[in-house]
Amino acid sequence: MKKITITKNKKFKLCTMKNLFIAFLFTLLPSVFFAQTTAFDKYEDNPAINTVIVNKKMFQLMGEMKMDPKDKNAQQYINLVKKLESLKVFTTESGKISKDMKSTVDNYLKSHPLDELMRVTEDGKAIKIFVKSGATTSSIKEMLMFIEGGGPKDSTVVMSLTGNFDLSELSVLTDKMSLPGGNAIKKASKK
Amino acid sequence: MKYTLTILAIIALLLTSCNSEPTLQKYFVEKSEVKDFMKVDIAPSIINTSKLTLSAEEKTALASLHNINVLAFKLNGKNNAEYEKEKTIVKTLLKTDHYDELIKFNNGTMGASVNTKGEGQNIDEFVVFVNEADNGFGVVRVVGKDMTPNNVMTIVSLLQKSEMNIEQLKPLKQMMMKSKM
Repeated sequence: MKKITITKNKKFKLCTMKNLFIAFLFTLLPSVFFAQTTAFDKYEDNPAINTVIVNKKMFQLMGEMKMDPKDKNAQQYINLVKKLESLKVFTTESGKISKDMKSTVDNYLKSHPLDELMRVTEDGKAIKIFVKSGATTSSIKEMLMFIEGGGPKDSTVVMSLTGNFDLSELSVLTDKMSLPGGNAIKKASKK
Repeated sequence: MKYTLTILAIIALLLTSCNSEPTLQKYFVEKSEVKDFMKVDIAPSIINTSKLTLSAEEKTALASLHNINVLAFKLNGKNNAEYEKEKTIVKTLLKTDHYDELIKFNNGTMGASVNTKGEGQNIDEFVVFVNEADNGFGVVRVVGKDMTPNNVMTIVSLLQKSEMNIEQLKPLKQMMMKSKM
């Protein structure tokens, strides 16, 4: 009698351990998903940094808006917006934060290998654009742009755009929104 | 047996903690009477449509809007500590009270974010949070039912067409005046 209860208990323990482990995994899962974007989140509440963040929900809502069906540009824009997930732009004029951003970008690229799409120097500023390709080569899941500014008037910019869009569609976005490095993106999208 | 008990206890804990979770709505009620704060409720009647003939679309858009609550914290040079504290509370509330953040920007001295609550494009609540280092912060809560992006656009265009009932905004105006003096 005693023996049976012990084995039962053991089984029970094992079972709950397993369950606990699975539950534990599930609780961890969301944080793993979120972890992808946290690399730059530390810049969100810094007074020395200008930030613009647009989230997926916003893009979804924008995609629902009625636009003039004859307006081809607007339609293109809506089509692109529906495919976007997040846009983050961080701009700073502080030299110290610029350095920090550079190392964060470098670190990010080490842990999330992206392909270097292009590297240009415009008005003395080095602009680098990195992308992660999706199913086809022209479809993009993530784009990261880094503009390294030199002096106090030359701001450093980190821009991250995620979603599932085509490189050629991006010029629509740079036309509609005044994104930094718009010219460079335009050049890149024409390739 | 022991395990089921502990699991039950955990579930019970979780449930109660859900109920007592602070919400933005509660925050509005709590702070409306507190010094440094000011609360204004605005009814949709602020959009004076008596002179306009409304289309069906405009009517549904207006019906989707129920009321607007504004809560503002005023900086007066002495309450910086409270300002920082309350600002953090609102920021965490926006996270814990299950709002979806739409946009956020901040340029050092000024910051703003737009948040929503609701399923898909049928939004039941918009929360606009603005803070400025010199003035204080404001939270605008737009409550309604099924406010779709198109409804919102229609309301905005109605706002431009109609005359506003400024009466309701008087307390806010007074506050602005005070801050200048």
